[in-house]
Amino acid sequence: MTDIDVGGRVRVDRDRLLRILQDHGVHLGVAVLLLVNIAFTPHFVSAENFRTQAVQVAPVMIVALGMALAIGSEGVDLSVGSVMALSTSLLSLYLGYGMWIALIVAVLGGVAVGMAGGALVAFVGVQPIVATLALMVAGRGLALVLLPQLKDVRDPTMASLGSGDVLGVPYLVLIAAALALLVAFVVRRTTFGRQLLAIGDSRPAARLAGLPVRRVLVLVYVCSGALAAIAGVLATARLTASDPTSLGHLMELSAITAVVVGGTPLSGGRVRVGGTVAGAVLIQLLTATLIKHDLPPSWTQIAQAVVIILAVYAARERGRR
Amino acid sequence: MKPNTFFSRTSDSRRTSGRTAPGTLLAAGLAATLALTASGCAKSEDGDSGSGSKSAAEGEAGQVVSSPGAGDRETCVIGDYGAGKRNLKSATVGFSQSEKEANPFRIAETASIKAEADKRGVKLLTANAQSQFSKQISDVQDLIAKGADLLVIAPLNSEGWDPVLRQARSKHIPIVTIDRKINATACKDYVSFIGSDFVEQGRRAADRMIAATGGKGEVAILLGAAGNNVTTDRTKGFEERVAEKAPGLKVVFKQTGEFAREKGQQVTEQLIQSEPGIDGIYAENDEMGLGAVGALKGAGKKAGDIKIVTIDGTRNAVRGIVDGWIDGVVESNPRFGPLAFKTLDTFTKGGEVDQEIVIEDSAYTKDNAESDLGKAY
Repeated sequence: MTDIDVGGRVRVDRDRLLRILQDHGVHLGVAVLLLVNIAFTPHFVSAENFRTQAVQVAPVMIVALGMALAIGSEGVDLSVGSVMALSTSLLSLYLGYGMWIALIVAVLGGVAVGMAGGALVAFVGVQPIVATLALMVAGRGLALVLLPQLKDVRDPTMASLGSGDVLGVPYLVLIAAALALLVAFVVRRTTFGRQLLAIGDSRPAARLAGLPVRRVLVLVYVCSGALAAIAGVLATARLTASDPTSLGHLMELSAITAVVVGGTPLSGGRVRVGGTVAGAVLIQLLTATLIKHDLPPSWTQIAQAVVIILAVYAARERGRR
Repeated sequence: MKPNTFFSRTSDSRRTSGRTAPGTLLAAGLAATLALTASGCAKSEDGDSGSGSKSAAEGEAGQVVSSPGAGDRETCVIGDYGAGKRNLKSATVGFSQSEKEANPFRIAETASIKAEADKRGVKLLTANAQSQFSKQISDVQDLIAKGADLLVIAPLNSEGWDPVLRQARSKHIPIVTIDRKINATACKDYVSFIGSDFVEQGRRAADRMIAATGGKGEVAILLGAAGNNVTTDRTKGFEERVAEKAPGLKVVFKQTGEFAREKGQQVTEQLIQSEPGIDGIYAENDEMGLGAVGALKGAGKKAGDIKIVTIDGTRNAVRGIVDGWIDGVVESNPRFGPLAFKTLDTFTKGGEVDQEIVIEDSAYTKDNAESDLGKAY
């Protein structure tokens, strides 16, 4: 890139533009959608509405945080939706012992799936997309074996976890925010975070540098599984029912979209936590806008596709370097 | 920025714990999953939800044929079909279910077929296509290969049945399809279809909504899954009837809840904020209606503030009427067993059967919800 001819100059400018778009496009998108809604959507500016959007986005955001870690390690975790289903089944099965025990069992289920996925990736050398695809299929199956159909959750503590709040801020939003901060901290300030990024950047180099590649990879998928299980628990609390048939259906796609739109490159080596949070919010706002204006449901899918393509286009040039 | 030691154990794990055997972690992960799976130590909440199959065998809730005796109905006898007479008692019946028994409708449907086969002492072979059409085709082929003399099929799709039908025809196997139709010629490719009229269900839901709202105001529709004929028909019937009978009632919102409770809840949450003046919600199945109830509760509404009408007749929805949250439930009766076997019995004995048997679905309102709760599935 040391050419100083005219063409090169134009190229550098375009690179800069794409870089800006990749780094801040998601914030721009959120801002545009907010402005459009404030201008055109009736009753948009109300505490109730913002609360609804925040509560609806919380589980997606939590799953996306785990997905960001997997993608940052140059992997992907397709099993997240099924892990949500598995956690809701386990939760329902163990609620008889009280909420906390059931909650721990549900999260352990996610950890177990993550451990299996991580082990397949790290030790057996299976491609992440294949390893987690297998677990996606198996996880949903297992969830339905454990709980063949929707079951109501009557536990009052669970119900209040889903609908309660502290000073007007729902528990779900608080938990999602706390987890986002935790993941941001882990990525930026811990050895594990640094190692994860190094492995995502170049696995051979990380291995040569003596990093515990396998252990870190397993931990990445364990984190993703645990986060997905937490999201499953929260979604269950909000619905006050365990629905392993449809809970988390296509969640892996929403999560990947949030991560990619948020500017985390699929080539690994970088995790943008803030971008991921904004990416999830962007998708939520997009869906809400189309629903509130009663546009045909298929438009939502098309609009999401356009956003994904824009995001991937912005990331394209960087990936090439 | 020196990385702190929050996860320091990880960094020097190479030294402290040396090499972990490759299989160990995988095995540990799978073992842990299995350990959790051991539902021996599971203990779920007490409650009676999920007991849908209990009432499936009860005769009182079996299906009734709607409008028999109409002069123009087409019938079928065994001679026209090209099969020979047979005694149902000594025959083997094959049942191919389309979707996993994970929702009350499918659970009750399969249970009803099984119960009726038991009752009549007929040997029954079953298969479930798990929502994959290619699997359903091979399921039916398997059932034929295993010696089924008669077939009851709950089809996943209406198209694509030709190869199987040809195979069944060459063996003179009578076929009855239930709940969905297949695109083929009755009394030639199959004997008859038994099912609900989904358009009529939509119309009856509209009648209920008109009565509940007084025929004035704004209503929303929670659509079923896109590209599904149940969705199309239930929407068509509702909109037609509303336009015809209550021009003052406007449909102002139509969004899909994909037949799932969670989606129904999320869409309703958006709805009640952008359309706070909404008077009624028509949910094309019970689950979405229950999701809407959840959303209204969450928004601090009271029971009856917004009229909800749903279709299916599951126990949870009928209980919703008793609690005052749901105004009416139009039933879609899944108990095909008695009617399917009766049709096969009549047909194999040489009797005349209708090519299209439309069943009469009942309805639940606050007048009968409490007394008929036991009939709900």
